[in-house]
Amino acid sequence: MIVTYNWLKEFVDFDMDPQQLADRLTMAGLEVDGMVEIGAGLDSVIVARLNRVEPHPDADRLTVCQVDNGTEVVQVVCGATNHKTGDLIALAQPGTILPGDFKIKKSKIRGQVSMGMLCSEKELGFSEESAGIMILPQDLEPGVPLFDALKLKDVQIEIGLTPNRPDCLSVVGVAREVAAMCGKPLRLPEVTIIEGGSPVEDQASVTIKDDDLCPRYAARMIRDVKIGPSPSWMVSRLESVGMRSINNVVDVTNYVMMELGHPLHAFDYRLLENGEIIVKRASAGETFVTLDGQEHELDNADLMICDGNRSVAMAGVMGGQNSEVQDDTSTILLESAYFKPTSIRRTSKRHGLHTESSHRFERGADIDMVPVALDRAAALIAELSGGQVATGVIDNYPRTLDPQIVELRTERIGQLLGLELEQQHVVELFESIALGVDVQGDGLLRVEVPSFRPDLERDVDLIEEVARLYGYDNVPVTLPQGAMDAEKSPLKQQLETLARNELVAAGFAEVINYSFVAPQSCSHLNLSDGDPRLQQVRILNPLNEEQSVMRTSLVPSLLETVSRNLAYRSHDLRLFELRPVFYPVAGETGGRQELRLAAVLCGRQQPEGWAQSAADVDFFDLKGTAEQLLEALKIDQVDFNAEMSEPYLHPGKSCAVMKDGIQLGTMGEVHPQVLATFDIDEPVFLLDFSLPELVAAAGSHPGFQPLSRYPDVSRDSALLIDENVPAKAIMDIVAKTKVKNIEDTVLFDIYQGAGIPAGKKSLAIRVRYRSTEKTLTEEEVSKAHGKLIKTLCQQLEAEIR
Amino acid sequence: MKERLEKLQHDALAALRDAADEKALQDARVRFLGKKGELTEVMKGMRDLAPEDRPVVGGLVNTVKEQFEALFTERHEILHQQAINQRLEQERVDVTLPGRKGFAGHKHPVTLVTEEIVALFSRLGFVVEEGPEIEQDFYNFEALNIPKDHPARDMQDTFYISDDLVLRTHTSPVQIRTMLRHQPPVRVIAPGTVYRRDSDLTHSPMFHQIEGFLVDKNITFGDLKGILTHFLKEYFGEDLGVRFRPSFFPFTEPSAEVDIACVICSGKGCRVCKGTGWLEILGSGMIDPEVFRAVDYDSTAYSGFAFGMGLERIAMLKYGVNDLRLFFENDLRFLRQF
Repeated sequence: MIVTYNWLKEFVDFDMDPQQLADRLTMAGLEVDGMVEIGAGLDSVIVARLNRVEPHPDADRLTVCQVDNGTEVVQVVCGATNHKTGDLIALAQPGTILPGDFKIKKSKIRGQVSMGMLCSEKELGFSEESAGIMILPQDLEPGVPLFDALKLKDVQIEIGLTPNRPDCLSVVGVAREVAAMCGKPLRLPEVTIIEGGSPVEDQASVTIKDDDLCPRYAARMIRDVKIGPSPSWMVSRLESVGMRSINNVVDVTNYVMMELGHPLHAFDYRLLENGEIIVKRASAGETFVTLDGQEHELDNADLMICDGNRSVAMAGVMGGQNSEVQDDTSTILLESAYFKPTSIRRTSKRHGLHTESSHRFERGADIDMVPVALDRAAALIAELSGGQVATGVIDNYPRTLDPQIVELRTERIGQLLGLELEQQHVVELFESIALGVDVQGDGLLRVEVPSFRPDLERDVDLIEEVARLYGYDNVPVTLPQGAMDAEKSPLKQQLETLARNELVAAGFAEVINYSFVAPQSCSHLNLSDGDPRLQQVRILNPLNEEQSVMRTSLVPSLLETVSRNLAYRSHDLRLFELRPVFYPVAGETGGRQELRLAAVLCGRQQPEGWAQSAADVDFFDLKGTAEQLLEALKIDQVDFNAEMSEPYLHPGKSCAVMKDGIQLGTMGEVHPQVLATFDIDEPVFLLDFSLPELVAAAGSHPGFQPLSRYPDVSRDSALLIDENVPAKAIMDIVAKTKVKNIEDTVLFDIYQGAGIPAGKKSLAIRVRYRSTEKTLTEEEVSKAHGKLIKTLCQQLEAEIR
Repeated sequence: MKERLEKLQHDALAALRDAADEKALQDARVRFLGKKGELTEVMKGMRDLAPEDRPVVGGLVNTVKEQFEALFTERHEILHQQAINQRLEQERVDVTLPGRKGFAGHKHPVTLVTEEIVALFSRLGFVVEEGPEIEQDFYNFEALNIPKDHPARDMQDTFYISDDLVLRTHTSPVQIRTMLRHQPPVRVIAPGTVYRRDSDLTHSPMFHQIEGFLVDKNITFGDLKGILTHFLKEYFGEDLGVRFRPSFFPFTEPSAEVDIACVICSGKGCRVCKGTGWLEILGSGMIDPEVFRAVDYDSTAYSGFAFGMGLERIAMLKYGVNDLRLFFENDLRFLRQF
C-alpha cells in the first residue's frame, strides 16, 4: 500500500517529518518498506517562459527559443513542435539529472548554443508517453522550481501491510492510525452531491440473487458525462501513489478506492440490457472476457454482476470488456458493493486475477463505506466530467450486518501482556481508533467494533490493540516463572550429532543439497526396475522440472556436488550430507521420511604438502571412515558383505555393511560408468547409511576394563594361505580361540609375489599377549602362540612361512 | 723406573689434554689403562720389582692413575658437552615449514547456527522436537488458524504434494504436533527444513527455520520479550539494540516482529538494513486461542508464546555472508570458511 505524506495531511494535522512519520507507522504495526521523495534532485527543473521561438537556421525540425528563466534570458534549442512564444514551460537547466540517469549539459546543437532542455511529461517521469513538451498553466511564476510550483513535492511512503489490516488499504485508513498516534482528529472528505433529472430507479434496478455472497449493493447514475483526460491534480495524485491515469471516470473510481479504500466500478449504462443489475453465481461452463481481454471459464462458485441478459463484471475482481466505459460513454452506472471475502478470494485465485479490488474485498472491505464511497465518487465524476448525478440512490442491503460487540475483562490485559493499565487509560486507547466502549463495571468492557476493523473479533484481538497503541516497547520485560523440566535430548538427536562430529573430525565438510531433484536423478545409478528409490514423491506445483520430485537418495546430489567442486578446481574432496530422503506412502501421511548419512571422498589421502603422503585415497580410506563412525556409535560385530552392494558401485570394491542380518548401509568405489555420467574422471568412494538403522544398532559403553600391571610379549607369524581366504577368517578364529591372554592382534602385512607360490598369499599377524595376573614367561607365551598358529593352520589350510 | 713413570705421567696427561673428541679420549684411555695399556703394563710389572721398591713405585703408579682418571672425567665432561653442543648446532629445522596434518572438517553454517541456538535455549529448559517435512494441511495451516481461502495463505507460497499434503512452509506445525502429544507446561525448540515456492536473490525454495514455544500458567507478552531479548543479546552481544513492533501471524495474538540494531552498520543505516538501522530477525507472539482450541488446551488456564526465525538469515548476519544461494551450492571454498 502506497500513501503520500501530503495526502495524509489532508485528513489529519500532524507535526512529524516524513522520517518520523515512517518510524511511528512502523512501530504501530504498519511497517514502512520504503520511501521515495517525489521530485527529489529535480529542483533545477524550473518554470520558464518562452520569450521568442524561431526556426533553427540550419535544421528544419528544430527551434531556437529565447527562454526567460526568471533571472535572465537564455537560449535553448528544442525539437518539439507544440510550443509557441508566450508559453510557460519546464526548463531543465544544465546539471540536472532527469529520471533514467539522463544528464542535461550545456551544448551546441547544429551550431546554436543550448542552455538546457525543455521537458516533456515523459522526460520528467509524469507519464509513459507524451506528444510534445509540457505546456504549463499561465498562473505560474518563471524561475520557481517546477515541483514546487505544481505542488508536486511529496514523499511516497510504501507500507507492507499485514493481511489483517484491510482498513489501512486507504489513505484515510492510514490517516486514522496517524490521528490515533498523535491524538489529533481525523477529517474525512466532505461530499456534496447535487442531484437532478429523473430518479435513478426509473432507469436502473439492482437485484441480489445470492445475498450470501453479496450482502449489499448500491448504485448511482451520472448522466451527460464527457469522457476525457483528468485534470492535472488528479493525474499527479494518482501517479504519486503509483497509478496510471486512464480517463476522468475510471480515475475517480481509482482515486476514491485509494482515498477511502472501497473499490468501485463504473459501467457504461447503455451497454447494460434493460438497465438491470443482477448479482448471482455464474452457471458452470459460462465464459467471460474481463477488461484485460482474458477469457475465463466460470464455475458455480464465481459471483458475477449481470445485466438482464449476460455477465458484465466478475464481482469484486474485474469488470467486463462488454460494459466498460468508452470514449463516447455518456451515462454511467456506478457500483459500490460489499462482497464476501472468501468468495472473492476463491474466484481471484482460480482465475489468476489479483487486482486492487480483489485485494481489498478478500481481506474484508467496510460495508458501511458502501454509500459513502458511492457518493464521493459520484460527486467527483460529475465534477470532472461535467455530468449530473441522477436523483436518488439504489442501496440494496438485504442482510444488515449488526455491529460487532466484543467483551473484554480488563484483568485479561494484565494476564496476557504482563502490563497493568488503568481502565480509563484502556478506554482512551480504544476510543483513539474509533472503538465504542461501554464500561460495564467490575472490569468488564463492552467494545463496539466499527465495520472497518473486521480483524477485531475476540478479546485477545483487543488486547493486541492495547499493546499496539500503548507501544510494544513500553511493555515491561520479564522472565517466565515456572518449573523447567529440562529433558535430555532424545538418543536419535544425540547420535545424529555424534555422527556429524565424527565425520567433521575425520576431515569431512558438511553439505546441504535441495530436497527436490529432477525425476530422472536416479536414472544414472543403474538401479533395477523394482528399486524403491525409483518411486518418488512428486510436487504438484514445482518451480521447475529440475526440482519437481523429492529425492529418494542422497547419492546423485552428492555426486553432482563432487562434480561441481572438481570443476571449481577444488580437489581432495571429503564431503558428507546428513539429510532426509522421501518415499511415497499411500494415505494421509503421503510419504515416509528417512534420515540418511552419505559421504564421499576422492583425491589424496592427505592434504598436499612437502611432508605429506601424495598417495590417493582408496577403498580402505573409505572403510576406515566407516569403521571409525561405527566405533563412535558403539556398533560392533559388523559384517562387510561383498556379495551385497549397490548397482552404482564397483562390483569388486564395494560391500554392504550388515549387523545381525540388517543392512546399515553400503559403501565402495563408485562405478566408473556412473562417474562418467556425472562428468567425474577420477575415482570417488562413497558410503550411504540409514540413520535409523545406525541408531537401532548403536550400543552403549561396554564398561571399564581394568589395566594390567604386567609386561606384554608379542609374537609375529606369517601364514601362507589360499589367496581367496578373506582376512576376516583369520580375525574370526583369533576372536573365538580359547587361547588365553591375547590382548590384541594386528594384521600388519599382506604379501603376494616373489617367493610366494601362485594362488597363495602371505598374511602376517602380530599377537600381543599379556596377563592381568602375572608376568608371562617366554615358555607360556610360546606355548599359547604355538597353539593359536596350529589352530589357524588347521582351519585355514595354512602353512607357517 | 721413576723416570719412566714420570714420562708416562707426562705422556698420559698430555694425551688426555690433546684428545679433540670423545673418541680420542677413549683411545687415550685404552692406550694407558686398557688391558695392554702402558700404565697397566707398569702395574703388571710391579711383581718383578724388589719388595722394598714396591710401595714407592706403587704409590707413584696410583698417583698417576688417579690424576689420569680425574683428568679423564674432567675432559670427558667437556668433550661430551662439546659434542652435544655441536649436534644441536648442526640439527636445525625450518620451523616455518608447514606441519604434517590431516584434512580439516567443517560443519555447514546452518548446522553451526542451529547447534548454537539449540544449546542456548537448552540452557533455558527448552527441549528439541522435530516434525515431518511433508506435512498435512491440518498441521501446517488449519490448526494454526490459517483456514483455506484465507488471505494469510498468501503470506507463504506453498509447494503442494496433494490437496491435503504440502512441503511444510514453516516449523510451526511442530507446535501442533507437540501440543497434541504433551500437556502443558511445554518448552520446545524445533529446528527444521522448510519450503516456499519462491526463488530469487533473496529467497531460496528450501531454507531452515527454528521455532520455539513455551506454554505454562501465567505466561505473558513481557515474558516473550524477556526470553527473546535474552536470547538475542546472548547471541549477538550484550549491547545489541532490540525492538518489538506489532505484526500479524494467524497463529499468534498479539503478534510481534522483532528487530535488532543492524549488526553491519551498528544502527547507523546501510544497504543491508535499507538505511533503517534495524534488521528484522524473528517473528513472535502470544499463541492464539484458536491454536489452543485445535490442540485442546484450555486457553483460560494456560497461555504461551511462540517465535520463529530463519537460520540462513542468522548465519548471513553472523558471518557477513551476502548471498543466500551460497548456502546450497556447497562450494568447498564457501564451506571451508566455517
